Amino acid sequence: MNKYIVHTGEKKHLVISHVSDETAQWQIVQEADSVLTVHLFCLEKDADASHDVVLDIEQAGEHAETYIYGLGILSGKQHISVHTRVRHSVPNGKSNQLLKFAVKDEAKGAFLGELIVAPHAQHTEAQQTNRNILLSPAATMQTQPQLEIYADDVKCSHGASTGQIDESALFYMQQRGIAPDVARQLLLAAFFHDVLTTLGEPAVEERLQRRIAEALSAPSANSAL
Amino acid sequence: MLEIRNLHASIAGKEILKGINLHIGAGETHAIMGPNGAGKSTLSAVLTGNPAYTVTEGEVIFRGKDLLSMSPEVRAREGLFLSFQYPVEIPGVSMTNFMRAAVNAKREHQGLPALSAGEFLKLMRAKRALVELDNKLAGRSVNEGFSGGEKKRNEIFQMAMLEPCLSILDETDSGLDIDALRIVAEGVNKLHTAENATIVITHYQRLLDYIVPDFVHILADGQIVRTGGKELALELEQTGYAGIV
Ligand SMILES: Nc1ncnc2c1ncn2[C@@H]1O[C@H](COP(=O)(O)OP(=O)(O)OP(=O)(O)O)[C@@H](O)[C@H]1O
Ligand SMILES: [Mg+2]
Repeated sequence: MNKYIVHTGEKKHLVISHVSDETAQWQIVQEADSVLTVHLFCLEKDADASHDVVLDIEQAGEHAETYIYGLGILSGKQHISVHTRVRHSVPNGKSNQLLKFAVKDEAKGAFLGELIVAPHAQHTEAQQTNRNILLSPAATMQTQPQLEIYADDVKCSHGASTGQIDESALFYMQQRGIAPDVARQLLLAAFFHDVLTTLGEPAVEERLQRRIAEALSAPSANSAL
Repeated sequence: MLEIRNLHASIAGKEILKGINLHIGAGETHAIMGPNGAGKSTLSAVLTGNPAYTVTEGEVIFRGKDLLSMSPEVRAREGLFLSFQYPVEIPGVSMTNFMRAAVNAKREHQGLPALSAGEFLKLMRAKRALVELDNKLAGRSVNEGFSGGEKKRNEIFQMAMLEPCLSILDETDSGLDIDALRIVAEGVNKLHTAENATIVITHYQRLLDYIVPDFVHILADGQIVRTGGKELALELEQTGYAGIV
């Protein structure tokens, strides 16, 4: 368990780019006027990786901002579950979560997004978005947004969806001579694009693009990719 | 160039193409006309290898090779191009990355080296000029938020980039305003050579005023029921399909 406090007025950027423990848990408390940005990348190469990522964040001071951006490519027989809990305990807080996963082979993914707005946490603005693409028939993704909103003067929204690669786009690209695996890579890069741009650093973005491309081609040779 | 023999194809168990025979030689322009639902787009889909359709009978020889045994991307690299009746929007994939992947896939197939960044941009600029495609459109995601006419113009831009041997233009005229129609048609004519061929699917004579066909075929209920010269399209304009189909 990793515990942090983001102190009053502080800006903190947490990048979780390798989840190596069986369980990876963070418990973070934000004081007033603090800004926390978390980037979570699940791009493990180990085909049997099994991880439980928990991000538990509480806004204990007013005017705090929390941003969670995550992406993952799950492959082989991986089991990856990501659990975010964002607690708005005081008024005037902001949070935004954007998490995207592509699941291939026989991998199993799960996202549980808890968003808790306490009764007196008025003027909270909270958003949560989870989008997933399944790349093989045996891949699964469970998504469970869980909003508990006890204050009435708030702006909260959430969206969750799980779909497949757009077959008509794939065919369109093939008709232009592009091989299906290259077409899928372009489509997935597009899918992850809005998460990547939140990094704000082209060099890091590029490095991740390469890791994404690697993760897409690994580990099983007989997968859909 | 293309030889279609007794082609039958179905979708969802329903037979749509019921024995198509068609010969297209190098340098020729063929128009295919016919009522809604006749199977014109199905024919383009089957020729380009759309997996939604099943070929149940017949064969297609394209430049001496068995077309139906090739994957869709190999058919494209061999020089088959379809200007889609409904071009697909691909949010997040830039026109530049898309075209670079397409052009270089074809070059690799031909044993040519990939274009350098500079050469590629120069090619984009030259071909954009040919169909007067706005630079802003070329800078966006593939077809995303393009108007109907802009999408059609973008199809012909892609055709110009890829310099196919056989182009199928499926209702490229629909959605184009009068000026755009002329510009796009002129673009198609400029791309025409004695070595390539074009199939124009259209409902209207207007396009054929610009792109003058050597042959006009009428496709009805999955079969070519009549073939003639360019005057057949004019006749249709007068009589409709009632007298023919
Ligand atoms: N998934 C499907 N299941 C059953 N029938 C289908 C399916 N897709 C297309 N069809 C049918 O196939 C027939 C041929 O359609 P196609 O699009 O080839 O016609 P078309 O000649 O291009 O018509 P238009 O002039 O309207 O573009 C139509 O009757 C259509 O309803
Ligand atoms: Mg059609």
